[in-house]
Amino acid sequence: MTTDVRNFGATRPRDGKLARLLRRIALLRESPVGMIGAGLVLFWILVAILAPLISPYDPNANDFEIARDWYPSARHWLGTDNQSRDLLSRIIWGSRTVLIVAPTAVGCAYVIGCLMGLLAGYYRGWVDLVVMRISDIILSFPVIILYMIIIANFGPSAFNIILAVTFIAAPQITRIVRGLTLELRERDYVAAAKMRGESAWYIMLVEILPNARGPLIVDACLRMGYTTIAIGVLGFLGLGLPPPDPDWGGMVKDSYALMSTYPLMSIIPCMAISSLVVGFNLLADGIREIGLRD
Amino acid sequence: MIGFFAKRLAYLVFTMLVVSFIIYTISEFTPGDVARKILGPFATKNQVELLTEEMGLNRPVFIRYFEWVGQTLSGDLGYSTRYKTEVNNIIWGRLYNTMILASIAFAIIVPASILFGIVAGMAEASKLDRTISVASIVTTSVPEFASGVFLSWIFVIWLGILPGTSTLDTGAGWSIASQLVLPVAVMVLYDLGYVIRMVRASMVEVMMRPYIRTAVLKGLRFREVILKHAVRNAMIAPFTVILLQINYLVTGVVVVEAVFAYPGFGRMMLEGALSQDIAIIEAGALFAVLIAVVTQIVGDFGYMLLNPRIRFS
Amino acid sequence: MSEDIKKIHPYLPTLVNQLRAGKVDRREFLRTSTLLGLSATAAYTLAGCDEKQEEQQSSTTEEAPAATTTTTETQQAAAPTDNVIRIGMRVPALEDPATFSWVYDSNVTRQVCDYLTRTGVDNVTRPWLLEKWEASPDLKTWTLTLKKGIKWSNGDELVADHAIWNLTRWLDEKVGSSVVGLMKGYMLTEYDTGQKDDAGNPKMGTKLWADNAIEKVDDYTIRLNCKEAQLAVPEHLFHYPALILHPSENGKFGVNAIGTGAFTLTELEVGKKAVLKKRDGYWGKAPAVDSIEFIDLGDDPAASVSALASKQIQGLYEASVSQFAALQKMDHITIYQVSTGQTAVARMQPIHDTWKDPRVRKAMRLAIDSEKVLQAAHLGLGSPGEHHHVCPIHPEYAKLDFMKQDIEGAKKLLADAGMPNGFETEIFCKKDPDWEPQAVQVMAEMWKQIGVNVKINVLPSDQYWEIWNVETAPFAFTTWTHRPLGVMVLGLAYRTGVPWNESFYSNPKFDETLTRAEGILDVEERRKVMVELEQIMQEDGPIVQPLWRAVFTGMDKRIQGFQIHPTYYLFCEEWSLTA
Repeated sequence: MTTDVRNFGATRPRDGKLARLLRRIALLRESPVGMIGAGLVLFWILVAILAPLISPYDPNANDFEIARDWYPSARHWLGTDNQSRDLLSRIIWGSRTVLIVAPTAVGCAYVIGCLMGLLAGYYRGWVDLVVMRISDIILSFPVIILYMIIIANFGPSAFNIILAVTFIAAPQITRIVRGLTLELRERDYVAAAKMRGESAWYIMLVEILPNARGPLIVDACLRMGYTTIAIGVLGFLGLGLPPPDPDWGGMVKDSYALMSTYPLMSIIPCMAISSLVVGFNLLADGIREIGLRD
Repeated sequence: MIGFFAKRLAYLVFTMLVVSFIIYTISEFTPGDVARKILGPFATKNQVELLTEEMGLNRPVFIRYFEWVGQTLSGDLGYSTRYKTEVNNIIWGRLYNTMILASIAFAIIVPASILFGIVAGMAEASKLDRTISVASIVTTSVPEFASGVFLSWIFVIWLGILPGTSTLDTGAGWSIASQLVLPVAVMVLYDLGYVIRMVRASMVEVMMRPYIRTAVLKGLRFREVILKHAVRNAMIAPFTVILLQINYLVTGVVVVEAVFAYPGFGRMMLEGALSQDIAIIEAGALFAVLIAVVTQIVGDFGYMLLNPRIRFS
Repeated sequence: MSEDIKKIHPYLPTLVNQLRAGKVDRREFLRTSTLLGLSATAAYTLAGCDEKQEEQQSSTTEEAPAATTTTTETQQAAAPTDNVIRIGMRVPALEDPATFSWVYDSNVTRQVCDYLTRTGVDNVTRPWLLEKWEASPDLKTWTLTLKKGIKWSNGDELVADHAIWNLTRWLDEKVGSSVVGLMKGYMLTEYDTGQKDDAGNPKMGTKLWADNAIEKVDDYTIRLNCKEAQLAVPEHLFHYPALILHPSENGKFGVNAIGTGAFTLTELEVGKKAVLKKRDGYWGKAPAVDSIEFIDLGDDPAASVSALASKQIQGLYEASVSQFAALQKMDHITIYQVSTGQTAVARMQPIHDTWKDPRVRKAMRLAIDSEKVLQAAHLGLGSPGEHHHVCPIHPEYAKLDFMKQDIEGAKKLLADAGMPNGFETEIFCKKDPDWEPQAVQVMAEMWKQIGVNVKINVLPSDQYWEIWNVETAPFAFTTWTHRPLGVMVLGLAYRTGVPWNESFYSNPKFDETLTRAEGILDVEERRKVMVELEQIMQEDGPIVQPLWRAVFTGMDKRIQGFQIHPTYYLFCEEWSLTA
């Protein structure tokens, strides 16, 4: 996040928006690390989208035929969990859980964080003071403890996890957006818009926010990684999504005791979650790199 | 200087008050009846009502909040329904245990991150830099429970050279040191990468500054330039980041402590949260915030001392 | 002989005849005769078997040889220098034993303090601190005689006053002991306290039903004068909070507390560990180990497995289904297993519209394939449930035709009840141990087949125990522990208005039949009445009961003399350790 905002100024020659976007994505080719990250993320997105097609079994169906043989076999490629449910299918469907919950949560946090940050940075004065005090207080909580308090009090569910992530991430985003806004509001094009008599909302949302997107994209990518970890950790601690739908952290929790006998049951979900987070973080690194370069 | 401290102290008091009120009100919405939690599910309704009355739980929230603040200030942290004893009997030992874990991890993370960060940042985009950067991204991306699983599988189940849990009980022949290896390793793996990247970024920036270039051009030995000029300046920015790791190490180690059954603060908070033990949650959260705010203040103060531009202005 | 035993209880000669005629089996004979006050030794002599052996055999182990080694033999074997056994178990604060809510609470205190009676692993209850008990023919007067010469660890002799002090304390409402839930029916009565609650209804309290309800006969004899006939008084005295404490400590327990047991608590660190040391002057046989340590490993089943694998502990107080496969693989561990009356039931509250119609409740039962639930949720360890909460190991169990899964029949019942397309509902269940939500999941899949969509609401355990017996949870899955008698369970859980009637089930015919059954000593006769009760449960009752659990745990092969108790009670003075 040390990226300089000036690199994302709107002073480029105007051509098709799509073409610009494509060119930007193509830039990623120059960063092998970013490519690997993008590949990993894309892989899991595809898996999540195609889950009904590629999943060999219903992820919640117990296979009563195999008795207690949970090891990998021709029937179950990765074996099953300790309830005789196909591990591969649960991993595949589990990607859906995380790729729905994480982006929703991060999205909500961004909506609130951006609004708060824009207001604080644009109006300054008492608005700034109030917003920053509130976010300071929230930020003074250790994240994991805040998660535990929220989930323990409101109960474990996808909605409450999204709520908790929003509550915790929004103040951090507020700070970043506020910082960027403070800098961008002094720009010529903002002054020009003011002269044109545009409303404050127009200036904030149309002039300032799009020009702050560079660092925010990198941050969003990193935040997707954190959120994926957070969802996994909550699942592992027993504060995650209620059963039966598979969630990777919860799968590790359920099978961890059997690690001496059936290591795959916990190692595979661990690898799934790690690879997705690695993907997000490498992608963020790649994007930052090309952002610095152009 | 005095103004600085007074301002910070006021901020600390203000934050603690707001936080305590927030926690207390949230806890009010915690499902469940405190008296029921103490007596267990098999006591009759009458028994629960009697205890509720005796404990004064049926009085208005505000009265109880101020009473609670008063008690907390006088050192009485309340009664834990999870452990069935005073919170004071639990929390200090747990904090102490976690401090041990945290200090060891901190003592490893700080020198290691500085070393790797500087080595990487010294020559940006070199092979060494790329390796360190990517490795630190990868280790930070593996959640603590996952590295706990990987490491226990290798060292406990496969090789059998380390104990599977860290209860700090030496009776069974495993030394305390051997019990600390895995929890510390997991904490270091998870946290180190992040700090390395901060140090590296700062080092990269410093290396691009004109005075370093001048020094090199003047013909000073590269090693001398790095040690005498670059490192000192590169440490200013990451100082706060490093200090803030204390927060994570003391209060954020819930997962590590749960995986290894370590009797520390994090496990206490988890067990308190899972059983909605209000007194534990309230007391623990207050401590966590206190530690966070104090490290923040120390961080600001240290930053001020380190950074000549702020110091002299 | 016959005259002698008639003095103890008039029913005993009949019972002996039944045994000889083969009408009751040996185990049932032992159970009932000891219940009626015959000493266990005399009962075993009459039944013609050796007591020690009988007890040993009833706890089955996967590897038989380890368990058949008798205690005497192992004591002769050289004890290891480090003669300490470490057990993985939660270590909560133990300040107030009368309010213990869980067996693990009582497991530390149990080594220091004793019960008046003990129910063995063979499901037979024997006097422990008591020398004997005698019941009047109408089962309303119970005379309890203490063993003479039992010394507390402070040198005092155990006398009737001590026991009376404890009994009175448990039944004092202000203390908050769950003994009240067990004994309320025959020892307590409700009275108007004169206060009003918020809704303006009079507040009711409970007190002893008569001034002489607990009566001191002499220094070693106590008489309980009960309001109603009660068959299971000795079993109730073995309820986990019913530990006999020394009155001078005012009900508080802690390090160096006075007790009659074989050990002294020397160290207690809540959430970490408890250390018990062998004490001199124990009235029974001195324990073979020097010290017992309970190590707290948290709630995570994986931590206990890791600790066992690294030999940081020698055994677990209980093992969960998720640990079974891992324990099996450890060479140094023996798995002990015992069939029990432990179970969990999905209870439906007929006071709500959804569950008002008995046809709907029966349809829910018919939808279940118990055998499959047992396999999927409990690894097949146990036996399939029959939806009437009377267990095959209960003496008065009557075998009915097995209630098989019948999807068509269930659908028809639903259609008759006016819901041909099924309905939507929500079930509450506890998160731990993990077999519980698993069983609910498997059942939910089965209910789907009859068109009933059940949303599962998994709650943390503590939260679940808040709602288990309230009206706001119409449908929920609750665990029930093992009780030695079938009538005991039915009386605690399904009689109109009793404190633990979590389903608010109220059926006058059921209550009346149950009261009848509770007054019948003759097991054959009682079994006939049980047929009626079990049928009522299956046709009209409020529960779906998928399984009976076999419970198990893992212990190091070096531990000798351990027997797994159906309720996980630990008696460490019976254990020894080989090198």
